[in-house]
Amino acid sequence: MSAVARQRMALVVHPDLTMLSKYQALLAGAQFSTVVARDMPTALLAITQHYFEVAIISAQLGESGDGWPLAGVFHLVFPKSFVSVIVPGADLLNLQTAINNGVQEIFEEDRAPETVVSEILAAAARSTGAPPRNRSRLQ
Amino acid sequence: MPQKPTLLIVDDETNVLFTLRLVLEEDGYEITTASSCAEALKLIHNSHRFDAILTDLRMEHEDIGLELAEAAAKLHPRPIIMIFTGYGSVENARGALGIQVDYFALKPLDLDDLKNALHRLLVSRGQIQRGRA
Repeated sequence: MSAVARQRMALVVHPDLTMLSKYQALLAGAQFSTVVARDMPTALLAITQHYFEVAIISAQLGESGDGWPLAGVFHLVFPKSFVSVIVPGADLLNLQTAINNGVQEIFEEDRAPETVVSEILAAAARSTGAPPRNRSRLQ
Repeated sequence: MPQKPTLLIVDDETNVLFTLRLVLEEDGYEITTASSCAEALKLIHNSHRFDAILTDLRMEHEDIGLELAEAAAKLHPRPIIMIFTGYGSVENARGALGIQVDYFALKPLDLDDLKNALHRLLVSRGQIQRGRA
């Protein structure tokens, strides 16, 4: 029996188009096919259409904190996938909200997207037991 | 008849243990309690299997509940891990996130929130049937 080769998919949800573009380019470099969304309805639609292994979600989409329930829904739909949230500051409330929504990691919004993606790929690989697959296709 | 979900509740405050036992037993859970991290570690390593572990953070010393959470996270099957503390900090919440605990609450506890979260987590793991209290 042979494994079905399928490109890994990532979801990036952020209100800032420039950030979306940066994350998409970085994830493409790690052989992810990325779906981007700037708002909650588009993100929810994407969740119904694809199997995502990784999500990067801004804590603030239309209004402050509305990224959290989206992250919670993502975790419920894809419990084995890696979900991270970009927050204004890693304070106690944000950490607590992350835990209670099943988020694996939070990143402060002033972190460079390169660092965020690199840490996410390493952490996702650790959590699934698979090595990071930068520049390597699924076999 | 389905088995009752089993919970281990760990806190060095007798009143908290008493209240949580009372409230959660009423909801149909089978409760074991421990009043220290050491006692809880003995229980989980002594072939007791729990569906969920609810623990305080500060007992024998500050944030020792994270040691219990870390030990519980290595069990197979992994129980649901819920932490509650009156001394929440960025450091202990960051530690809890790193261990991937399932729920983190600050004291004074909102018992309805705690019960809802516990029920939701157990249902999502398939340890209780949907709709059952």
